[in-house]
Amino acid sequence: MPLKEAHRLLIALQDLDIMIKEAKDKSTSKELESLGFKLTGLEELQDARSKLAKKISPTVLQRYKKLTGRYTMAILPVTGDLCLGCFVKLPTSFFSSINRDLLQTCENCGRLLYIP
Amino acid sequence: METSKLVPFFQEKLCLFHLRSRKKMSVLQEMVRHLAEQKLISDGHFIMEMLKNRESLGSTGLGNGVAFPHGRSLAIKKLIVLFARSAGGIDFDSLDGKPTKIFFLILAPSDKGAEVYLALLSQLIGLVQKPAELKKLTEVTDYKSLIELLGG
Ligand SMILES: [Zn+2]
Repeated sequence: MPLKEAHRLLIALQDLDIMIKEAKDKSTSKELESLGFKLTGLEELQDARSKLAKKISPTVLQRYKKLTGRYTMAILPVTGDLCLGCFVKLPTSFFSSINRDLLQTCENCGRLLYIP
Repeated sequence: METSKLVPFFQEKLCLFHLRSRKKMSVLQEMVRHLAEQKLISDGHFIMEMLKNRESLGSTGLGNGVAFPHGRSLAIKKLIVLFARSAGGIDFDSLDGKPTKIFFLILAPSDKGAEVYLALLSQLIGLVQKPAELKKLTEVTDYKSLIELLGG
């Protein structure tokens, strides 16, 4: 099933941020360049990122920004009944029919979580 | 990683020996659609966007007729490798401007490090740098021959 729009935008943003980070990271970019890749389009990536960020609500974006300052992954999928960021068990209400499609928050670490 | 260790990454159902598409974006689309049909990804459009972004950073068409489209996403659970071949070759914006005939599509999870796919990329690039192996790859039309080549 395709991802829910709100989740998919944030996941895309995080994927893009990881791609940008890798392209900027000296050791990874050096390795890619030594394999023959030319990483010349960093500006295009930054543009794509700005466009994407505009589609996300400022409140969510603010939280995402705060989280990325603290963790590598700001948003994570839920597998089982644990937050994969801090490994704390999630409350039953998390999986209720009202909540399960929403973008939720781990009460322990604050990461954004979604049920895939 | 020795060449023979490449074999486990390649599944028969993830080899397309006769790509139908003739343009860069439609080739990516054809490969992604195949992965969706095989239920390896749930949201093809999402993965397409990611691959397009990666291409905008710099073409993954490295020249000599080979391209390595790749990317990492939270939507990918475990490493996926797809092999595809176009007999006629496709304009993939490759670095030497020549048509691309061989594609190794690599998708990796983003919640794990870049090391896994970098090691695989490096191994595959090492293989295609051998002219004799590369020639055989561009002519391969069945899984058994591909595996023999990768394991050789
Ligand atoms: Zn947590």
